[in-house]
Amino acid sequence: MIELDPGVAQQLAEEATPSSAIQVRVGTSNSELIIASILQPLIQGFEMRGVYICASRSATEIIQTLERIGVDPSGIQFIDTVSSGFIGGTEVPYPNIRFVDSPIMLESIMLQTLYHLGENTDTGNFVIVDSVNALSIYNEKRMLAEYLHTFINTFRAREVLTVIVNVPDQTPPGVLANLDLYCTDLIDRGQVVIH
Amino acid sequence: MMPTPVYERDRCVTGIAGLDEILRGGIPYGSTVLVAGTCGSGKTTMCMEFLVNGAENGEACAHFSATEPSVKLLENVRQFDFFDMRLVDRGLINVFDMDVLFSWLGMTKSTFELSDIDAMVKAITDIVNTIGVTRLVIDSVTTLCYKIPSEQLIRDFLFKLGKALSTLGCTALLVSEITSSGAKAYWSSFGVEEAILDGIIVLGDVERMGHLLRFIQVVKMRGASHARAKYALELTPKGVMLTPMLKWGAVND
Repeated sequence: MIELDPGVAQQLAEEATPSSAIQVRVGTSNSELIIASILQPLIQGFEMRGVYICASRSATEIIQTLERIGVDPSGIQFIDTVSSGFIGGTEVPYPNIRFVDSPIMLESIMLQTLYHLGENTDTGNFVIVDSVNALSIYNEKRMLAEYLHTFINTFRAREVLTVIVNVPDQTPPGVLANLDLYCTDLIDRGQVVIH
Repeated sequence: MMPTPVYERDRCVTGIAGLDEILRGGIPYGSTVLVAGTCGSGKTTMCMEFLVNGAENGEACAHFSATEPSVKLLENVRQFDFFDMRLVDRGLINVFDMDVLFSWLGMTKSTFELSDIDAMVKAITDIVNTIGVTRLVIDSVTTLCYKIPSEQLIRDFLFKLGKALSTLGCTALLVSEITSSGAKAYWSSFGVEEAILDGIIVLGDVERMGHLLRFIQVVKMRGASHARAKYALELTPKGVMLTPMLKWGAVND
């Protein structure tokens, strides 16, 4: 049994509002655990549904990881920007995955997210970007900073809880500084202490 | 001091997500608008959505198809959630094949003369008048103009058509096929359509690192102040969706 980080659920319960934009700093080895620690209280505690933008790993891999950890991914629509990059990647058994050709199609990601969020009007919605550092591999930093500015403001205005995941030491400093400015909250698990 | 009232023309609300915001309320009623775009840019889908949104509000709509048979057109748009075949069955969306119309009119020649153009305009406006059409699409006007041998006659055709439709209170979208929407901005195939008509909406692609992103841009709309920026366009099952295109990514590589 994998134990989730209880501090994340506590911070979300105390600080998060429907229009929060939460910057989540993770390390390279704990990202799955921290993301699961965010998703579980959002789905089970807040009874929200949402959109998961996959730029680090394929949606299939993320779904299987969440299932292994014990988080139900059925209420999440996945937008996979990774799997179109290799032949056969889009042949998946999950109905809740949509594909965008590449992580450079930032506006398409935005529009697909808006489309899927519009499908659910019954509960609160969240959107999670996993991750800024993966998007920065493909996108020029000025464009990425502009995108995050637009993205966060768009969803805050629509009262969609926004979660922006990044690995700080793999994210361009300018983009990171902008995230500090745009986001309303910070969950910092970027420093992994190994005992 | 009382603010000075500003006169604004009544608008035909397109119902297309984002487009009415770009147009600050919609297309001025009775306008004839050129929808110019490259292949695969979403012209046909957007125009059909324009008709569907009108038909759902009880407006009579007409689609004149010159590039593909109407049966094929309807089969293609049926995949979209926004399209409801019952609107066709109930006579709110009326689809006409231009080839059939030409046969009825006895216009079998490869090129049209002034008398043919007058007959074509009369046939279209008769249909608009008889059914009470308030939204009309011709897809594409380029195909019709290929049969018209001179720029002067094309100008006459579009002027007469636009004037007649405007008089009848019909808002029309005329689809124009263009081969490039890049730096050399031509918004029509023959160069005369763009000057005559009331509005120009351009659809095309921006190439970003080998990928094509669809965009839309309102270049001109008489009687309306409107945004002139590029907007990214996505075709979803519910129809067209728009978002402002990133400023750092709005030009071709």
